[in-house]
Amino acid sequence: MTRPALAVLVALAALADPSGAQAPTDVRIDISSGQGRRIRIHCEALQTPSDRNSVSWGGQANEVLAHDLDWSAVFTVSRSWVAGQQPVEVQAVVGGKLTVSGTEVRLQGEVRDFPARRSILAKEYRASLKEWRTAIHQYADDIVLQFTGESGVSQTRIAFIGQSGRSKDLYVMDYDGARVTALTSDQSIALSPSWSPEGSLVVFTSYRGGGGPRLFVTPAAAGRPYLISGRPGINTSGSYSPDGRQIVCTLSHEGNSEVYLLDARGASPQRLTNSRGIDTSPAWSPTGREIAFTSDRTGTPQVHVMDREGGSLRRLNYDVSYTDSPAWSPKGDRIAFVARAGGGFDIYTCRPDGSDTRLVVSGGSNENPRWSPDGRHLVFSSTREGGRGLFVSDLDGTPPRRLATGSLSALSPAWSPRPAASGSAFGVNPGSSTPGGQP
Amino acid sequence: MSPLNARTFRAVMASLLIGGALVAGCAKKPVATPAPPPPPPEAPAPTPPTTPPPPPVETPPTVAGTRSEDYAPAYFDYDAYTLRDDARTALDANAKLLRDNPKVNVTIEGHCDERGTVEYNQALGERRAQAARDYLVAAGIEAGRISIISYGKERPFATGSDEASWQQNRRAHFVVKSTS
Repeated sequence: MTRPALAVLVALAALADPSGAQAPTDVRIDISSGQGRRIRIHCEALQTPSDRNSVSWGGQANEVLAHDLDWSAVFTVSRSWVAGQQPVEVQAVVGGKLTVSGTEVRLQGEVRDFPARRSILAKEYRASLKEWRTAIHQYADDIVLQFTGESGVSQTRIAFIGQSGRSKDLYVMDYDGARVTALTSDQSIALSPSWSPEGSLVVFTSYRGGGGPRLFVTPAAAGRPYLISGRPGINTSGSYSPDGRQIVCTLSHEGNSEVYLLDARGASPQRLTNSRGIDTSPAWSPTGREIAFTSDRTGTPQVHVMDREGGSLRRLNYDVSYTDSPAWSPKGDRIAFVARAGGGFDIYTCRPDGSDTRLVVSGGSNENPRWSPDGRHLVFSSTREGGRGLFVSDLDGTPPRRLATGSLSALSPAWSPRPAASGSAFGVNPGSSTPGGQP
Repeated sequence: MSPLNARTFRAVMASLLIGGALVAGCAKKPVATPAPPPPPPEAPAPTPPTTPPPPPVETPPTVAGTRSEDYAPAYFDYDAYTLRDDARTALDANAKLLRDNPKVNVTIEGHCDERGTVEYNQALGERRAQAARDYLVAAGIEAGRISIISYGKERPFATGSDEASWQQNRRAHFVVKSTS
């Protein structure tokens, strides 16, 4: 074992699993400091009963699991079922058993170190047949947790706007592009979705019902959207505060587009900006103390930062001359934004003080970068492969990957928070795992 | 008006003139106009706009200024909402139409080209519609007759990614709302 970090962290106690299904050794590796350094891990095909149906399920499950681990940006994945991909210099082997009985899927996951093949994670997951992907995603997230101390994001979802003809509707899908579901079907224009902090609601802009752009909220699990701000002029760019009690947005009912705070029902507007120019696209810092937004008060649009009372205003960045669409990373350490390049935009990140500007994505026109809840990825819309589609960057120099959205043009993505009972470093889906998993 | 529609228009005009159906001085006749603004001539249109207009029906001659297409759009520069000279000329003509038709109310739609973000363009489109409205109000048109809406970059008139298309899309566009 040549990696010092691993050697140190192997000694850490098994804090990560309160369910009682503790693995003999808890291996945790701090990789957050080294972007681009991934852990080599080998996926063995999940064992299944030999009937044709189970084998078919197993094949799909293997690919979903391998994708989850690959897309975590934590691992480099080799696959036992692909010719030529042997466990060379890997640190761990991922495997398990998958059985389908009636309408239930049972996954007994086991991760072993390599080459000693001692068990370092063993856990059982159950899900209805319809939700089989969830069981795989839970396993993948637990593997990421085991190696990094923080759960993965493969149980998250992405809201986006899908365009078909002239209509733009609100959709949600799994973070990997599976299970695309329409939340509106209005023959209208929906735009700019944003999740509530616990992930149950989506606030978005819509022209539904005629008239101008208004703010609506809809249950993320499908339901009827309800109006929260239909003031004269534009009502756009809604975003829940981290505590869920307020919505920051852009309104123009006082004559000019300005950034406002509303309560969660859309009442009690409180104006935060006051300029003759355009102020829009507000984005919360994860503490809720600051708000980044776009203003053209100095000529061209520029990302600015203010406190939640509208004070302490400053321009974010002087390295690039036309910037917009800020998004604050969930850990608060970076702000992503777009900067004009030719007829389109490139995506950059910088520190909240404006320093350390880094180019993340160029080529085509790239818009609306939004962070994954672990801060390892940015989802954005782009024309980089023709048409407008959604892409994910792992922020490590690897090429962005496209998320399939079928025949829909897709834009305005928004990454959901982790589902409840997932995500914190020590809360490992206690409700869905079975205590007493195999050692 | 695209060349195609100009041709269609002329053809209909000619047939109407031959039929003697036009009153002199009434320059325009309701033609079967495509509901949304015409697609750019160079772009392949998803729905063929070439369907022949229906045969002329017995409708009373309309007065200039009662239909949306009587009102010229005001065009804008990139990322700007100040009125150019050509925009003022268009708005002067529109102001006259509104004065001549005191019962007509209009909606001014603000539109933008595809450059710029969704959210910024919604605000920019509103500023363009406001600029056109404010000019008309300064010209004596009652503010209550004009409503505005911003479509940002969501309802382009031309779908190309070139300056000609972008210019088509940077506009304050007039729609007659009611003639009550």
